[in-house]
Amino acid sequence: MTEMRKLKVLVFEEHIDAVLRFLGELGVAQFIDVREQIENWEGSLTPYEASTEAISRSSTLLSRISNNLSKIDELLKPIGIELEKVSSEKAITSKNRTEEVLDEIEQKIIELEQKLSLEEERIGEISTNFKERQTLQNKLKSLIDSSEKMILEKELQDLEKQITESKSAIKKELSLHKILTIMNKRAVELEKQIVEIKPFLGKIREDLITIEEATQMERSLNEQKTQFARTAKTVYFEAYVPSLHIDIAITKIKEATQGNCIITEEAPLHTEKVPTILKPTPSYMKAFEKLTFAFGYPSGDEVNPVRIEAITFPILFGIMFADVGQGVLLVLFGILFSIVKRKIDLEEVSDIIRYVLEGSEMFILWGISTTFFGFLFGEFFGPSGFIHPVSLGKFGPFYIGGFEPMSEPMKMLRLSVLIGVLHLSIGLIIRSVNEIKIRHYRHLSVPICWLWLLWGGFFMWAYWGGISNISKWFAEGLYMLLGIILLPLILLILFTGIAEGFMEGLGFGVEVFAETLSHTMSYCRLMALGLVHGVMNYLFLVLGGVEHGIFPPSSIPIIAIGTILVMIIEGLVVFVHTLRLHWVEWFSKFYHGEGIPYKPFKLENID
Amino acid sequence: MDPSLIALIGVALSILVPVISAAITIIICGTSNASVGTEKPELLSRLIITIVLGEALAIYGLLIAFMLISKLPNITTMQDASKALLSGGIIAVASFAAAAGISYSGSSLAGATAEKPETFSSNVIGVVLSEALAIYGLLIAFMLIGQI
Repeated sequence: MTEMRKLKVLVFEEHIDAVLRFLGELGVAQFIDVREQIENWEGSLTPYEASTEAISRSSTLLSRISNNLSKIDELLKPIGIELEKVSSEKAITSKNRTEEVLDEIEQKIIELEQKLSLEEERIGEISTNFKERQTLQNKLKSLIDSSEKMILEKELQDLEKQITESKSAIKKELSLHKILTIMNKRAVELEKQIVEIKPFLGKIREDLITIEEATQMERSLNEQKTQFARTAKTVYFEAYVPSLHIDIAITKIKEATQGNCIITEEAPLHTEKVPTILKPTPSYMKAFEKLTFAFGYPSGDEVNPVRIEAITFPILFGIMFADVGQGVLLVLFGILFSIVKRKIDLEEVSDIIRYVLEGSEMFILWGISTTFFGFLFGEFFGPSGFIHPVSLGKFGPFYIGGFEPMSEPMKMLRLSVLIGVLHLSIGLIIRSVNEIKIRHYRHLSVPICWLWLLWGGFFMWAYWGGISNISKWFAEGLYMLLGIILLPLILLILFTGIAEGFMEGLGFGVEVFAETLSHTMSYCRLMALGLVHGVMNYLFLVLGGVEHGIFPPSSIPIIAIGTILVMIIEGLVVFVHTLRLHWVEWFSKFYHGEGIPYKPFKLENID
Repeated sequence: MDPSLIALIGVALSILVPVISAAITIIICGTSNASVGTEKPELLSRLIITIVLGEALAIYGLLIAFMLISKLPNITTMQDASKALLSGGIIAVASFAAAAGISYSGSSLAGATAEKPETFSSNVIGVVLSEALAIYGLLIAFMLIGQI
């Protein structure tokens, strides 16, 4: 991860536009809103007000330009020609002040409007000619058609007798053809005129687009200025720049101001919200990225959990949704959606369809995990008996697959607690990585003791055969209880107490104890929702008369309706619960999500 | 009283009260989400969590009712019958408590998120912790049924 540096810059007001333009071309600086801390300057700085006028002026200019652009399109419609969409060359980048640039742009617009009105007259003429010619041509064509018919008929009727009449008809037809050739000649001339006028209009259009871009640049430039502060003659601003680009940014500012500036470069404080540059994630994780960022954007010294979430999210989903048949369907739907996604424009579809399409890769991952757990729990469109549960092994009282959740729910409960403890441990391990990353080695004791407590409690629970034997915990297992539950708790209270005071330590200890208990129990919803999924499928299996894995043909429509219902309703519920397990139980261990994205100020051609 | 009749009352309790609780939650949270949606439609995809968690209450009730029904032929003694009745009562009360929590904090969550979207991640805790209440009830009801 690249480090961020903070620049504090003071320049004369007359240089500020040039500085912004240079930085905008560079595109690495993200400005900080100075006005939020303006009280700290005790009146020596005031907000920079001058820019609102420029913003409104550039907006009016923009609307004027777009008016003219649509006017050109209107003009060209009756003649039936189209201008190729031109991508203009780079817009004017002068190093002048905004006001001067806007003046220049206004001048240009007036010039272009004059040119446009001239062309308008010419086009008006051409288009009336064009229309007249078209009606004449149509008339002529029908005349020729009818005369040709007449001639043929007459020739067939009696060639010899009425030879004189037919001769005159032929003459008439000949004269008609003459007119046609003249008309065609004119048409060619008209085409020529159109071809001549086309580049003129094209040039006007191109110029308009160019200055449109320039005006947009001015506007975005002045929008940045609303974050600045000023003294009587100078402007002050702060910006975050990645340390890779800091040197070039400083030289650019010096170049723009000819050295008349004060620049301070420093490392941002830990209390500041520094923009985060994230490593780009693979495209199939984009949906998980969205789910994570809906909770909060990672800050710079945090592990970005997206990559790990892309593994754990489908696993938790799969346990709750376990089913071979529906898993395969999910994979197929995912593949279908990802094909559709490439074919259509995502901006044009409605919201819900867009969410579904954006999550297409997620569906595939869910489907794979769902199918896997479907084999473990022996579910094929519900507990139909079509597939025998496959066992992956047995760790103490924990069965990894090899049972049907509906007939042996306690095994499922134990498995869910195991999965929950593993998931929480991942979260705590990430927390310790975070503490190491920011070199808070003293705080490292918290996740380590917490892990000790979590696994200690889990071990007690498993070793003594569940909560119902809790009396044994305090009799035979007393020393074990002291060692693996009370000791880490006391250490936790002690460490936090030394660092932050006794009462805080005690409070934190109680909080950790309660959280460990309630968050682990919360994973029991894996069992509950898994059972609910089985039950809902089972209802349709009973309705369809499926027994011992044999699907009679009459049951297929019922199973189909049931599958659609279950996949939509249950899918939504299971998805939200998986999300909740990640957001609340998992993220609360290590993830704060208080960062802000890195969006540097850039001046570039806007497409 | 006949043991199987008492057990049936448990079944009825375990499905009816959670369904009513889910309805209350959806009515309150759904309307407040809808009004937020008129101002900021982009928030609706996040706020849907309140409605879905409310709906899950009904599903917990369904689960307990189903388990009870599958145990009905085994219930012959008064002791088993009272266990069935109590497990129905437990999920009923727990889901009702959860519904109260979700609907109050859910509707406030919607309003607060409309004003300040960045507070969502800390405010959503109220909703999900209320929902956890129902899970605790579900677990205990479940263990009771396991003993029948």
